[in-house]
Amino acid sequence: MTAAVASFGEIAKFCGRVLGDVYRLRVLRFFGEALRQAGILILGSTIVIWGLVFIIGLQCGIEGAYFTRAQGAPSYAGVFSAWCDLRELVPYAFGYMMSAKVGTGIVAELGSMRISDEIDALEVMGIDSVLFLCATRLLAAWIVLPFMYVAAIGAGFFASYLAVVQQIGEVSSGGFFLIFWMFQNPPDLAFSVIKAMSMATVIVLVGCYYGYHASGGPVGVGRATAKSMVANIVGVHLVGMLGTQLFWGANPRAPIGG
Amino acid sequence: MVRGTADRVFLPTKNLLEEVGDMMILTGKTLVSAVRPPYPYGGEFVSQFMFTLRLCWMPLLVSTVAVSYGAPGLQAANFLILFGALDRLGGFFVLATIREFAPFVCAIIVAGVAGTAITADLGARKIREELDALQVLGVDPIKNLVVPRFLALMICTGLFDAFAIVFGITGGVIATLVNGAPLGPFWATFFTNADVTDLWGSVLKCTLFGAITAVVCCYKGMTASGGAEGVGRAVNQAVVITFLGVFAFNYVFTQTLLATHPEITVIR
Repeated sequence: MTAAVASFGEIAKFCGRVLGDVYRLRVLRFFGEALRQAGILILGSTIVIWGLVFIIGLQCGIEGAYFTRAQGAPSYAGVFSAWCDLRELVPYAFGYMMSAKVGTGIVAELGSMRISDEIDALEVMGIDSVLFLCATRLLAAWIVLPFMYVAAIGAGFFASYLAVVQQIGEVSSGGFFLIFWMFQNPPDLAFSVIKAMSMATVIVLVGCYYGYHASGGPVGVGRATAKSMVANIVGVHLVGMLGTQLFWGANPRAPIGG
Repeated sequence: MVRGTADRVFLPTKNLLEEVGDMMILTGKTLVSAVRPPYPYGGEFVSQFMFTLRLCWMPLLVSTVAVSYGAPGLQAANFLILFGALDRLGGFFVLATIREFAPFVCAIIVAGVAGTAITADLGARKIREELDALQVLGVDPIKNLVVPRFLALMICTGLFDAFAIVFGITGGVIATLVNGAPLGPFWATFFTNADVTDLWGSVLKCTLFGAITAVVCCYKGMTASGGAEGVGRAVNQAVVITFLGVFAFNYVFTQTLLATHPEITVIR
């Protein structure tokens, strides 16, 4: 128990340092490295993340279509799709794939740098290794991910449309979109982006912590990667719940009633 | 020139197809050597089962309560309150928790926690050349390492589904209490809508998720290569492939179940 609290404190201290580096704009000293990391993020992870969100969108679509059909209102499948995609499952799918692809990738990369003593070499050369390795990655994530996430929402919407209108086919395209757009508005989108960005921040920070502090040879890197995944999964679910409670808990934000 | 371009375009596809084929072969070999005597994997099976159980129960508990309190609990309760029909939340939870969230949170947790640990473990043995040593000693790594992990993960994920459902419904109960509504109507609509088909569908789905996770993670661990970064990269790829595979399978399975059993979609 003491060990758990102590390691949580270590993580918090490390995260505070990385966030401070980005917030005080010290990270701009290595802006080129941040842009390079952003490029790696775009080329390496975009397609997989969109792919998973697309599959989740299909899932939302069929569940919504069958559920509203059972209620005797198949033309209202748009309500279910809009809420399920935008508010809940697209952020979760994004978080899952971020932790699987980006989070564990960072741990594997930084961990192998640590055990082959490259991080110590950086320190010897007089470069602040936390700033150069971790803060640049966080900045890169903040530059790229909002755009990638908004496009991912688009992929989810498209998949729901395919599932509800083209596959199940109990509502016309016009009827679906009328209800679909009526039950969401720009603040909802902004809340969804905030939720996903909080998840992404947690994932990048956790990945950096476990990679930076890896030890015990190649085996240790593998074990650190596996351990970071546990922290990420729990973190994603907790951020998702808190976001829902904060943004939609007291106000359903639906165009019904007074 | 043309050949170079063609290689660049088709080589990744070819590698991907080869990998999928290899995983299928590994699945086949695992199933065959699981049923063919002798059965030396009993002890390893028990220890892997306990390992999965010990590693996963806490993240699973936290995650299922969080997900079902947030996603179906709060959002659906808000929607139903607009119509003054909060008692229908129980009926919605049959769809939300039993059919969807419990199996998929289970799969995510088992893949992310136990699956990654298995890949890291097997990958470490691979790059320390312990797997080759086993083969030299005449010990079949598939029978002694993969089969117990496959069976343990499969059965464990299936059984975890029951826990996920229980704690998922706890999330719904919390959402009802937060809205200051009595619990009687929640349970009434829940039990009138609950269906045995839903339950076995959920458990079967979860068991197959476990099987997918086990095969992908064992395969990636046993083929890890490339020195220091190799094991980390193997874990990374294993968890990405598992997530994509699990969700794609989830879509096909749910669609088939809903289309072939129309009685479970009827609201009672």
